[in-house]
Amino acid sequence: MSDHKPPDWTTDLRRRLAPLQLGPAREIEIIEELSQHLDQRYEELRATGVSKFEATRLVGEELLEPEALARFMRPLRQANLPAAIVLGAPRRSWREALGQDLRFAARTLWRQPSFAAAAILTLALGIGVNGAIFALVDAALLRPLAFQNPERLVKVWERTASSARERVAPSNLADWTQRSRAFDAIGGYIPGVGGMVLSGAGATAETVPRQWVTSGIFDALGVRAVAGRTFSSSDDRQGTNVAVLAEAFWRTRFNADPSVVGRVMRFDGVSYTVVGVVPDEAQLLGRTSMWAMVSLDRLPPQARGAYFLHVIGRLKPGMTLDQAAADMAGVTAGLAREFPKTNTGRGAALEPLQNAVIGAELRQTSLLFLGVVGFVLLICCANVANLLLARATVRMRELAIRSALGANRWRVMRQLVTESLLLSLIGGVLGVAAGAVVINAAASAIPPDLLPPGVIVAFDARVIGFCAAAAVVAGLLFGIAPAWQATAHSAAAAMASDSRTTTSARGGLRGLLVVGEVATAVILLFGAGLLLRTLLAVETVDRGYRAESALTMIVDPLQSSYPTPELLLQFYQNVEREVRSVPGVRDVAFATTLPLGDSYAGSSFVQVAGGPVRDPSQRPTADYQIVSPAYFGTLDLPLVAGRAFTDRDTPTTPLVCIVNEAFVAAHLQGRSPIGVRVAIQSTAVPQAPVVVREIVGVARQVKGRPDETQDLVQVYVPIAQSAIDDIYLVVRPVSEEAEMLAPAVRAAIGRVDKEQLVSVRDVVTLDDVARGATARHRFRAVLVTAFAGLALLLAMVGLFGVLAYAVQQRVRDFGVRRVLGATTGDVLRLVVGSAAGVIAAGVVIGLAVSMMLGRLLTTMLFGVQPLDPATFVLVAVVLLLTAAASTIGPAWRAARIDPAVALRSE
Amino acid sequence: MLDRELKKGSAELIILSIVEPRARHGYEISKLIEQRSAGQMRFHVASLYPLLYRLEERGWLQGRWVEKAGERRRRFYGLTAEGRRVLTRQRETWKAFVNAMGLITGVGSV
Repeated sequence: MSDHKPPDWTTDLRRRLAPLQLGPAREIEIIEELSQHLDQRYEELRATGVSKFEATRLVGEELLEPEALARFMRPLRQANLPAAIVLGAPRRSWREALGQDLRFAARTLWRQPSFAAAAILTLALGIGVNGAIFALVDAALLRPLAFQNPERLVKVWERTASSARERVAPSNLADWTQRSRAFDAIGGYIPGVGGMVLSGAGATAETVPRQWVTSGIFDALGVRAVAGRTFSSSDDRQGTNVAVLAEAFWRTRFNADPSVVGRVMRFDGVSYTVVGVVPDEAQLLGRTSMWAMVSLDRLPPQARGAYFLHVIGRLKPGMTLDQAAADMAGVTAGLAREFPKTNTGRGAALEPLQNAVIGAELRQTSLLFLGVVGFVLLICCANVANLLLARATVRMRELAIRSALGANRWRVMRQLVTESLLLSLIGGVLGVAAGAVVINAAASAIPPDLLPPGVIVAFDARVIGFCAAAAVVAGLLFGIAPAWQATAHSAAAAMASDSRTTTSARGGLRGLLVVGEVATAVILLFGAGLLLRTLLAVETVDRGYRAESALTMIVDPLQSSYPTPELLLQFYQNVEREVRSVPGVRDVAFATTLPLGDSYAGSSFVQVAGGPVRDPSQRPTADYQIVSPAYFGTLDLPLVAGRAFTDRDTPTTPLVCIVNEAFVAAHLQGRSPIGVRVAIQSTAVPQAPVVVREIVGVARQVKGRPDETQDLVQVYVPIAQSAIDDIYLVVRPVSEEAEMLAPAVRAAIGRVDKEQLVSVRDVVTLDDVARGATARHRFRAVLVTAFAGLALLLAMVGLFGVLAYAVQQRVRDFGVRRVLGATTGDVLRLVVGSAAGVIAAGVVIGLAVSMMLGRLLTTMLFGVQPLDPATFVLVAVVLLLTAAASTIGPAWRAARIDPAVALRSE
Repeated sequence: MLDRELKKGSAELIILSIVEPRARHGYEISKLIEQRSAGQMRFHVASLYPLLYRLEERGWLQGRWVEKAGERRRRFYGLTAEGRRVLTRQRETWKAFVNAMGLITGVGSV
């Protein structure tokens, strides 16, 4: 019998059929059928006495050459079937599979609306704030400036031994333009934007923001006129009054009328020819409506010592920054030989315009925010991961059944990750919407000086792209670990398990996530604490004056009406008298600088008589402050020595000045200041002569900036001896409400000269000025605190979730303990103890990381150290209090478990 | 008139004829072909079964697993209604072909 048993043909047949890739069921069928045939043939041959070997060989011939079977089968439909159907994991194209996964994921989420809503909202929050902040970062750091070949644009400064970035003297710019080979074009501008009164038809008038530029500036920027032309070098040579309008102003004020080009307009009573209209990108120079040209031709000799221009150059194609710097070094060395008095030791410094525009502070602030919201997103991910982990436990049976039906781990994981991605994409879409809302709301909250003009925060395709990327990364981040965990158990183990079983690994991972969340919240709280303390410091900083409140406004008399200093002074005196008569006004004064505000008169070179004689290029400077005699009384700014100005200080009496405490400390080396003579030359006016003045008083120090670490050195000069046509009017009220006086003050100015009312602008209180000066600190502190609060809330929700879940899992355990004699207190201790471990670990890690990161904030801090112990303690206390709040609920629930109910619940 | 499928069709005609009276399994079909052609004609396993499967796919044959007590199940192939129509038509074509050959070559009809 065993002699007749035929060999097994299966292996041979399978090999012959293999190239056809038949469906497995069909392949088995064919092998069975052919085997039977071969068996029968073999038995037949053996029955006729053929040897085993010979029979096997003869039967083998039935199959012909090895590939024959496949060749004959190839044309059959069954050999060209689509991929076979396998239980549990249908093999399809990835697109079909993705569609199926997505449909299944959507159904799963739909069935658990509260879980889905919690996860989606958390993600929308995280992605939304990230999108909003990315918009800021993108505008500030990533996007190139909106000019042709922006990489060729450089800012050019004068360089001295004491400063690498000094403003440029107009004569030097004129010579650079002639002599340098590095630039296609180069031009300058005065950074401040002033106002000019545009007289219209029928005796109407309006104040128009105006900025002074040199003829080359638009060519340097690469800005082409949208109508007419920009300035040319022939404008410069002719020295005529020409101006260009900003496109927005042209459109709104003149309805984009092309005939405006060539028209002569009267600004401040002087005729200017409008030669063209330039696009608004040019507002990078300053937020203005028109640019008036300042000629560099036929400059007076003093113009070489007056440094007030910012300069932008467009490098020649292929010219590197280093080559240009070398070229400029040659040019400035030549100028130093020609004009040793003014130019000795003055070189040039170049930096990419993008760097100059953005500035280190904005860069740091943007990166700070990006880091902060990145942390917030991490916490959001951790929370959603926690939700998923909790849910994975509930779904263990479902997953087990799916793997029992033949789905492999990769397949199940893919499904779970698809669900995560679906969650994060829905969250991302909502996040984009949330981010757009935030951006719209934030536009008004961003301090005006934080972003340079021309840099606009917009919610555009780049931001949406970022949100999409953030959503995908977040989806993978919070999806993969839970999916890995959820599929880590064998099907049998999972199905055998019941709700009593807790896997310690899962609990451990969830605990770790919460530790991470707490640590992150601590880091953000710490940063917020430091920035809040900085804000507190700058807000409570001693401004130096004691007036509680004052109204200020710029008064800018028309040059045509008041062409001489005498007439100007007369006007100021009349205004002062008239405003003083307004009921509720206590005092009135004029000043060119407001404490914590801008300086209108700029700085000046000072040289103390009898003091060390310094090289002209290294003369010390001081803020040049022109005030009326009533200024010190109006602001309640005490004089620590000498006298205030009086009406007896006139242009014809000896020239006097008052210096502040910082000046005495810096320049007088212990000498008695009163009677000392000081040579002063204003830097902002090319024609400014050197004037020798005698110190008659010393004023108390005031703050120029709330966070200045070096005291501002100031020289006060009486307005009668240095008339100026742009000045702040300061009005101190009897009562506290300064802004209430504004209409009455305007009316009083109108009584003096109705025409001048048009030039009155920037009506604000001193408090507003101070708030403006602290705006960036407030912006940072408020934003980071808001994010930290959000992070804390999310972390506590995470902690609450984990504890509540753990208590629910251990209901039976607690019941048993109660039966065995544990008190309510024992159970409470158990829950609180496990929470305390997680919180303590998070706090310790968070504080440790904060200590390392704190240094990064140094430049943004004022009046507080990066390792401020009080902030450390405060953060720990805040965290422990909130953590306690989120622990109470679950702990209380555990303590109230009724043993009888708990044990029956299985 | 001369079916250009004739040559290829001859094998199909043979198989359809063999299973015309009743359904048979593959081994029986190969044996009957051998017997009825007196050993002149033999199908190898590697060509017979692909042919059976092709006829089945065309819907001329129907294969069916049949189990008998104490024996392995076997797959039997029987004619479908469509197969019967095809067989009739092919027989006529074949007859016409053979007659034509006889007229042309003088070889007597079978």
